[in-house]
Amino acid sequence: MNKGLLSVTPAFIKVWRRNAQVFITLWKFNIFPSLAEPLLFIFVFGLGLGSYIESMEGVPYIEFVAAGIIGTAAIMQATFECTYGSYFRMKMQNTFEGIISTPISAQEVSLAEITWGATRGLVNALLVLVVLLLMGVLHRWQAALVPVIMFAAAFNFAAIGVFVTSRVAQMEYFHFYFAGFILPAQFLSGTFFPIERFPDAVQAVAWVIPLSSFVDISRSLMLGRHDIYLLPEAAWALASTLIFAELAVRGMHRRLVE
Amino acid sequence: MISARSARTHDSIASSDKRHIDMIVEARSLTKRYGDLTAVDAIDFGFEAGRCYGFVGPNGAGKTTTMKMVYCIARPTAGTLKVFGLDVCEQPREIKAGLGVVPQENNLDPDLSTCQNLIVYARYFGIRHEDAAGKCDELLGFMHLMEKARAPIAALSGGMKRRLVLARALLNDPRLLILDEPTTGLDPQVRHLIWDKLLELKERGITLLLTTHYMEEAQKLCDEVLIMNEGRKVDGGSPGSLIRKNVPAQVLELRVDLAAAGEAVARFPGMEHQRSGQNLYFYSRDAAEFDEIISAYPGAERLIRPASLEDVFLKLTGMEIR
Ligand SMILES: Nc1ncnc2c1ncn2[C@@H]1O[C@H](COP(=O)(O)OP(=O)(O)OP(=O)(O)O)[C@@H](O)[C@H]1O
Ligand SMILES: [Mg+2]
Repeated sequence: MNKGLLSVTPAFIKVWRRNAQVFITLWKFNIFPSLAEPLLFIFVFGLGLGSYIESMEGVPYIEFVAAGIIGTAAIMQATFECTYGSYFRMKMQNTFEGIISTPISAQEVSLAEITWGATRGLVNALLVLVVLLLMGVLHRWQAALVPVIMFAAAFNFAAIGVFVTSRVAQMEYFHFYFAGFILPAQFLSGTFFPIERFPDAVQAVAWVIPLSSFVDISRSLMLGRHDIYLLPEAAWALASTLIFAELAVRGMHRRLVE
Repeated sequence: MISARSARTHDSIASSDKRHIDMIVEARSLTKRYGDLTAVDAIDFGFEAGRCYGFVGPNGAGKTTTMKMVYCIARPTAGTLKVFGLDVCEQPREIKAGLGVVPQENNLDPDLSTCQNLIVYARYFGIRHEDAAGKCDELLGFMHLMEKARAPIAALSGGMKRRLVLARALLNDPRLLILDEPTTGLDPQVRHLIWDKLLELKERGITLLLTTHYMEEAQKLCDEVLIMNEGRKVDGGSPGSLIRKNVPAQVLELRVDLAAAGEAVARFPGMEHQRSGQNLYFYSRDAAEFDEIISAYPGAERLIRPASLEDVFLKLTGMEIR
């Protein structure tokens, strides 16, 4: 019997719906706080810092940084949801134990959590995109494809989050995860300036962080660029997503069905 | 015992096979280890449809672990375990579809209301929304929770939460209902209500599998009781047969002062006894045999009563605390 992603049936959507139902009843508490950071980033980096930077890679700084701000908004939300959020549901509320006592499997719970984290990331990315649209930062129709990329980015980080959650013995370990991986990812992934500005060694590390690829692809869409580098980036984005999703699903099964 | 329905269904199968098919749960050398600790140690059991089975044993005996293996959220380390004739490692999804589970710790969804808890849980079983709504009303009525339908979980008392977990376990019309300490910490009213409901479910043909620390509960509900200690099965059988087999019919309870307690035990070496601090328990087939002891301690508090499952439990698992 397959213990990974291949064992998952569409039943996982039922668990996604559970999370969505809870989210909708508490939407005011969920939406507004998670918008604070991206709006602050637009203000501080885009408008504040941006007024000192003539242009970056040939475009106004706010247009360059837009992809980074959206990407950060998406992955941060997905990460919170699938670390603290998932852990809370798993350990404090025993919600997962209740669910896997029904025909739903641990793998399906994990994929539902990942998909839900990705959904929250997408919701955030969409809201930021609307703000940027209203600010007149977006000029090309290709920007309409950015939400797809952002869903994928959020899915990727949600998967990493659930994988980490399946491994931590207590919630405090997430502090290390945020300090050691999420914070660097937020700033090293070509979000606020091009990765090429880093020394070679740092560049290599930066490109391994999946967010770099997602941001670069989104930026290319928004700025209407085509580049052969987008292909390996897309390949790594996809491959890392699959790898982490598989690891997360297996890790969670091992944890929940001891 | 073969029910009429399954006997018809399996007419062509040899009678020994019939018996096998009718086994709802069957364990062979079932073992569960957590690292160095053996929580369940090579136990065997077989449960027939439509009856009530109880697991009793001191804290840490391995009851919950055994239940969890039956409802497929803990994997056996060794041995085999079949539920509805299916292997728990191979077909957990099919097994869980036919189970109702009341875990030791309530795991209601605190983010949802009473009724939403049932509706959302019904969805996990693939029950259509229209059916779930009707089922929700029916079960809240069955468990006397109707007036709390819209309340958040935090607004329910311990007894109400327990009844809701039981209602939730019945959503999918389970063939086998697993109850891990269903009445621990509940007041007598709720306990009697739950007993009544469980017996009603048994009459409807549902197989019950429960754990309990209340011997009265085991005696009242269970056709068969399995006594566990330190992961092993110590004894098993109907409550009556366990009592007959393990302890004489009459018990004298005597409370003497501490100095006298040790001496009293030594003075009547012929009689079976147990001691817990100042409390002495003497066992005999004939209550008249207690006369000599009673006259030796005229001032002591005493009680003569028939032997119960509790006496068997204490005898087989010892008086000391885990
Ligand atoms: N997940 C786990 N990891 C490690 N050890 C465990 C785990 N679950 C149970 N144990 C150990 O297995 C043994 C049996 O535990 P179990 O919960 O099955 O006992 P129990 O009979 O249900 O006890 P109680 O009456 O207190 O509920 C105990 O020693 C317990 O510490
Ligand atoms: Mg227990």
